[in-house]
Amino acid sequence: MKYCISTVIVLFLSVLFAFAQEDQYLIGKKAPSFTLKDIDGKVYSLEQMKGKYVVIHFAATWCPFCNAEAPNLEELYKGYHNKNVQVFIVDVKEDKGLVEKSLSRFNFSFPVLLDVNGEVSASYAPEGVQPDLARHEVPLASNLILDKEGNIRFYSLLNSVSFDAKLTKLKQKLDELLQMK
Amino acid sequence: MTHWLFIFLVFFTDLNAQSISEQIVKINIPDITVQSGKSSVIIINVEVKKGYHIQANKVNDEFLIPTTLEITKDKSIEQGEQVFPAAKKFKLEGTNDFLNVYDGSFEIRIPFKTTQRIQKYKSYLQAKLRYQACNFKSCLFPKTIDFIIPLAIININADKN
Repeated sequence: MKYCISTVIVLFLSVLFAFAQEDQYLIGKKAPSFTLKDIDGKVYSLEQMKGKYVVIHFAATWCPFCNAEAPNLEELYKGYHNKNVQVFIVDVKEDKGLVEKSLSRFNFSFPVLLDVNGEVSASYAPEGVQPDLARHEVPLASNLILDKEGNIRFYSLLNSVSFDAKLTKLKQKLDELLQMK
Repeated sequence: MTHWLFIFLVFFTDLNAQSISEQIVKINIPDITVQSGKSSVIIINVEVKKGYHIQANKVNDEFLIPTTLEITKDKSIEQGEQVFPAAKKFKLEGTNDFLNVYDGSFEIRIPFKTTQRIQKYKSYLQAKLRYQACNFKSCLFPKTIDFIIPLAIININADKN
């Protein structure tokens, strides 16, 4: 009986550990660099962001999870942009007109960058994760925090079972990083 | 006798039903045989891969991609309004929002009637199913599957003569 209970506990902890590990992809690694235009044609590069914390959200207009997070990203930006935090949405493989039309309802105060061919998104796909998907599809609806040196400090891929629309974990990590400085 | 012939033809052609498989969605397409001057229904069966859902035909956000079926017009038939099944509710965790989705297996029904009395007619209706799928770990880019629906119109009276 004791053996059975121990086995169940070990299995349960293994599953928990496996879920916890999901968010550990690319942590500590240098974020792939990019230079992208926003919907107004202004050019942004990750290089320019050195010395700032950067929050990146990969999105598409048809992505229900991205749209559910959108108002909370604006709220996050308003709450943190005075704390040396820059927020970007990277829209993946969509027409500028459609992105403009769709995102105007959210009235974002931060830049929405256009990853027209999906290359930037693909460069953020952790190796071996969801190998059956096109690489640019993997990071959709994910959130990252980069530190002031451009290293990845937080990476949450979509998990609709424990979907964090309010970005609670991301804010928690951001607060933690801001306190450390 | 003519009724038996018709039943035989419908049964026989149903055995020839084909299916098209794509990564997430499989479509089962029947061969349609209908008597000239009569009405019938095209029933397209869609199977969504286990663990995935696709947005329903009626979505509650105009930027989501609803599941749609487009069948090109054909001179021999008049298509009625497509009937999609009722959607299932998918809760967006951490919000008060729900998505309208389909999962598992479902049917799309397209009623039609033949528009002219003709002796014999065989056609291949061009069709497109568009959808956008998600599972618990990812949302995939919208996809369109092209397929054909074989349609045969028969005139039993002409056959009898």
